[in-house]
Amino acid sequence: MTATPLLEEQLGVWYAQRLAPDSPAFNTGQVLFLEGRLDVAALERAVAMLGAEAEALRLRFDETPQRPCQIAGAPAPQLAHRSLEGADDAAAMAAFEAEARVPFDLAAGPAAAFTLWRLGPSRHALTQKLHHLIADGYANLLVTNRLAALYGAQAAGRDPGRPLAPLSRRAEADAAWQADPRRAAERDWWHARLDGMGAVGSPSGQEARPAGPWFHRSELALPPGVSARLCALAERAGIGWPDALTALCAAYLARFSPDRDCVPGIPLMNRMGPKAARVLASLVNILPWRAPLDPQAPLPDWLAAAGADLALLRRHGRYRGESLRRETGRLGGGRRLYGPLINVLPFEPCPRIEGLDTRLEILGAGAVEDMTICFRGTGVAGLRLQVDTNPGLYCAAATAAHAERLRAFLTAAAGAERLADLPSLTPAEHRAHVETRNRTAHPVPATTLAALIAQGLAEEPERPAVVFGDTVLSRAELDRRSLALAADLAARGAGPGTRVAVALPRSADLIVALLGVLRAGAAYVPLDPEDRSARSRDMLERAAPELVLAERGYAPDGLPVLSPADWPAAPRQALPAGPAPDDPAYLLYTSGSTGRPKGVVVSHDAIVNRLLWMRDAYAIGAGDRILQKTPATFDVSVWEFFLPAISGATLVVAPPGAHRDPRALAGLIRQAGVTVAHFVPSMLALFLDVPEARGLRLRHVFASGEALPADLARAFHERIAARLHNLYGPTEAAVDVTFREATGTETGASVPIGRPVWNTRTYVLDDALRPVPDGVPGRLFLAGRQLAQGYHGQPELTAERFLPDPFHPGERMYDTGDIVTADATGALTYLGRADGQVKLNGVRIETGEIEAAALATGTVRQAAAGLWQDAAGSAHLTLWAVPAPGEDAASIRRALTAALPPLLQPGLVACLDALPLSPSGKLDRRALPAPSRTVAARRGLAAGTETLLGRLYGEILGLSDPAGPRTDFFAAGGDSLAAMRLCLAIETETGRDPGLGTLIETPVLSDLARRLDRQAAADHGLGPVLRLPGAGPGTVIAVHPAGGLGWCYRALARELPGLRVIALQSPLLDPGRPDPQSLSQLAADYADLAEDLVPEGPVSLIGWSLGGIIAHAMAAEFEARGRDPGRLCLLDAYPSECWRNEPEPDDGAALRAILAVAGFDPEAHRDLQDVAAVLGFLAARGHPLAALPPQAAAGVIRAVRATNRLVRGHREPVIRGTVRHVHARLEHLRTGFAPDLWLPYCGRLETLSLECHHREMIAPAQASRIASFFSAPATHREAQLQTGHKIRTY
Amino acid sequence: MTTAPLTRAQMRADIAAQLGIDPEEIGGGDSLLDLGLDSVRLLKLVTAWEAALPGLDYTRFVEVETLDEWWDIVAETQARA
Repeated sequence: MTATPLLEEQLGVWYAQRLAPDSPAFNTGQVLFLEGRLDVAALERAVAMLGAEAEALRLRFDETPQRPCQIAGAPAPQLAHRSLEGADDAAAMAAFEAEARVPFDLAAGPAAAFTLWRLGPSRHALTQKLHHLIADGYANLLVTNRLAALYGAQAAGRDPGRPLAPLSRRAEADAAWQADPRRAAERDWWHARLDGMGAVGSPSGQEARPAGPWFHRSELALPPGVSARLCALAERAGIGWPDALTALCAAYLARFSPDRDCVPGIPLMNRMGPKAARVLASLVNILPWRAPLDPQAPLPDWLAAAGADLALLRRHGRYRGESLRRETGRLGGGRRLYGPLINVLPFEPCPRIEGLDTRLEILGAGAVEDMTICFRGTGVAGLRLQVDTNPGLYCAAATAAHAERLRAFLTAAAGAERLADLPSLTPAEHRAHVETRNRTAHPVPATTLAALIAQGLAEEPERPAVVFGDTVLSRAELDRRSLALAADLAARGAGPGTRVAVALPRSADLIVALLGVLRAGAAYVPLDPEDRSARSRDMLERAAPELVLAERGYAPDGLPVLSPADWPAAPRQALPAGPAPDDPAYLLYTSGSTGRPKGVVVSHDAIVNRLLWMRDAYAIGAGDRILQKTPATFDVSVWEFFLPAISGATLVVAPPGAHRDPRALAGLIRQAGVTVAHFVPSMLALFLDVPEARGLRLRHVFASGEALPADLARAFHERIAARLHNLYGPTEAAVDVTFREATGTETGASVPIGRPVWNTRTYVLDDALRPVPDGVPGRLFLAGRQLAQGYHGQPELTAERFLPDPFHPGERMYDTGDIVTADATGALTYLGRADGQVKLNGVRIETGEIEAAALATGTVRQAAAGLWQDAAGSAHLTLWAVPAPGEDAASIRRALTAALPPLLQPGLVACLDALPLSPSGKLDRRALPAPSRTVAARRGLAAGTETLLGRLYGEILGLSDPAGPRTDFFAAGGDSLAAMRLCLAIETETGRDPGLGTLIETPVLSDLARRLDRQAAADHGLGPVLRLPGAGPGTVIAVHPAGGLGWCYRALARELPGLRVIALQSPLLDPGRPDPQSLSQLAADYADLAEDLVPEGPVSLIGWSLGGIIAHAMAAEFEARGRDPGRLCLLDAYPSECWRNEPEPDDGAALRAILAVAGFDPEAHRDLQDVAAVLGFLAARGHPLAALPPQAAAGVIRAVRATNRLVRGHREPVIRGTVRHVHARLEHLRTGFAPDLWLPYCGRLETLSLECHHREMIAPAQASRIASFFSAPATHREAQLQTGHKIRTY
Repeated sequence: MTTAPLTRAQMRADIAAQLGIDPEEIGGGDSLLDLGLDSVRLLKLVTAWEAALPGLDYTRFVEVETLDEWWDIVAETQARA
């Protein structure tokens, strides 16, 4: 029996299979229907001969510590027989598929199976199932054809033909290729070709995941007319139709990429030449194709170029994709070498069998990592399209939608001029996206905010309109004062078409000012009274207001200032006529990419729609008290200011500065009875953190300004009783245009921004303004009544961002520059920005503005601004700069202080010699270094899991020192083999196998440490069932000692070969669980659990210390239930009578039980008096129990006390079976406890005495002796027993 | 492709068409594999040639990789027919 290492092409399959040992994903399967008279005996002989002939069918697979290998000598597969007579087609197919999905036992082999299904007297089906380790699609065909030839020989005496080539030929070919000098040239060619290739995406928009156990499949036929026209198109382009289909599929897939590019995987059969042709092996080689897309070129020209590029790829098709994946660092961590596979099989390979009609169906062609698009057929005559997907990335509906869309895409391509003309959606999807989802028409009167305010304030005039500290303005008073100011302003020249700047701090006067300006018919321009920067002066200058409402001393050059002290209390002049619906209501400045803020002009008509929608949607009325805390310069303030006036609600104005003080806000909300408030999500997070916010009750809380994390919504509902709503909208569309309630049950990273408000349309489009499919990131465009009129004084910029609406001729749509996705219901989710705009704490910042300001100071030669996220996840506005001669970070920062307001000041300035550029010469933002790079790199390993991983990474990667916290396992040279070794090492050290999948998803050391700690805290470490390392047919249940944890059995578990040790842990570790009533009850509960874990056969039990008492009681329970209790082994446990008169442990002693579980002497560490001290002690020694969360430590204390109490109330039952007792002799020199204390409670006693103390019983030093005592065969032992004597001592 | 008797020149032209290159670029001893031919294209070629020359054994083509060797197979099959 020879074991040979796996070849490169097998290793990838092996590792993926090992990730999910029970997954059938790597089974290739097919069914061959046979019509006619079948000679079953001849077929049986043919299968047996094939098995004898083809060594690959007799392989098994295993791994040595060094590497996985294949071993010859497994039994050859025999033809199995099953009957499906009478089953209909669907039932038969279901049976075939079910069989195809049964995983192989690779360790036993063979990795091949043949089954003959009898469907009727002259109808049979032959299923063939080969593991992808030994066969690809072509090999399946080879096997079937060979089987057909052998059958022909057996059944009809035909020439059996030549046998399959020996497997050794494959290894020889591989060795020759590895040594071939051309291999290096090929490697260079591929590396040059992949140079600069960024992250490869997926149409699913998700990071790579291992293939699921099976796949979704959607299958369609292309209409014959379409396939014929596609063939004609390919002919015009001068390429084969398979290449044309491949190219068009790539163009389709590119529609799902944010960058509209695509790197599909192209499977090459790799079967040419004498060394490969007839070998039963998996040779298919999947290589990445960087598809050259040219949307504007004439379609035949582009197809010709794409076909030539595919031909080039094939010429370099010998270099293995697996090698490329490793060499380019695209292994694990969600990284890909290629996206979906495109596989065109331009033939219908149906094996011919002597005397029978045959039809072939492929059940599975190996794992689907992402998506596999497969065409089968002969071209002109017709094509079948199969889309298979990984269920971890796509749902069944998404799979079917891809098939439909791809068919629509190809149908359109058959008659299109250019790629650009092809739709990404089916016609039905297009209608749904553009029309159905935008049915938001709702009657809103053509009126003005000024008119609504007048109307609103006239109702219930005595009720309070504004509360600001001790100041209360009644509605009548607000009406009178704002009208008086309006008349005064009108007399000073303010009116429709003019602007009045308002630069007042938050106050009752500010409300009067805003209402006054609106009622005068002018648009208000809010400015921050504290901001005296050049930028603010520039904004004021460009707004060109008639006058400024501000405190005296706010000194705009040459502009008249009217301060609140000079405002009239009652109208002195004629009342103004007021504005018309199309007149501007306000002008708000937002950050501009060119370096100057831009002024957004919003009409009354637009804001009226927004306010009436909100009043209606949330039933805002007289009972509401709305908090005003948003600075007037941000558009959220607009509804805060005016909704109360038009709805009868009261406006509660927060003191200036309070919006930055969560405690003050919580107090204000509570004390003023606020029912409606707004928070930017990052502020909401701070707010929820303060104790004062807990238990607040409101009606509605609105979040907007940045993505609302789902976690935050959850936290909100845990702390605050209110409905939470996520709103979205740019200043350019009257505050908010989409809405969605956040219930805290959202599953994604952030809460969706939802659906459009009244009279509003949202479009998610690509760069060519085509609607994108659901789930695909696209640019959000807005249309409808709320659109701003444009940018004040900037018609070119207005034309650039407010485009003609292609779906509603004559209307406009606004390009938000925001990237969103839609789900199947049309609900939108915000993903990020398309351009350099960033958001910091809800404030919109154009990085271009900061860069322009930095360049203007003359202190930098080149500048790039952006957000940088530190290790803790906090974002910092950062400027990366190439300083001018003589300048440094400090001088640059000083210069910026004068140029920019505080909000736009970069928190960090990093000086570089040059800005990093991408191959195309553009700024490579991803390559910008961390601004405090040296500090980041110098961070040491945290105590506990990080320290452990640092050492293990270092050992396995062969580093001279422990790896640093940000070491990426794969980037640092780890491959799949090393990954497996790391998993084993982690398991050895911590008792928990992290799973190869975990490592592949989180290869960065500190991330992995966090994840392991989380896992330890969540499922593994503290749950009622702890599975310890080791595998085998048998199971031992280990019962926790007093502390409730089962971790103490790790060393023993490693010494029990062929046995799986499952430790039971106390439910008392979970603070929500009630104390059990009695130890017998606890034992009965554990017996239930053990029966679930071990459904049949004997249940062997081990218990250390008080765990032994429970194990004994469980054995009694099993005997009572008639279940074979298997072996019972008590590790230094004594009956409860020994404890009954002992004092119960206090909290300190109970706490130190953790030390005992960890293998330390609790009595030697009496100084450790609290949880932190004990955990600190363990952390300092790198013990995995240090990761115990503090609340679990509290659970340990509870478990110790409860278990001790139960023991004192327990009376041992008598069991018929044998107790195997291990005695810690040194411990009991003092106590006198002896094994024969158990004699009254068991049928027989066998003992082993060890020279150790009680706490050392679980140490690795004792494990092997206990293990052999435990596992020694019972029969052997019985033979040695003296009859009539109950005790046997070893 | 054609149903007339198969010639070496015709084979060379058909292969070149599959590879998207000029027939002159294919030397009789050149590895077609290195020129970018794969088994899918090979299968298409042999299927077409089989129409003109029944009894052509596809698997024999796969096992060699030059035009000269292919022509030998065809010539041998023609001689047998």
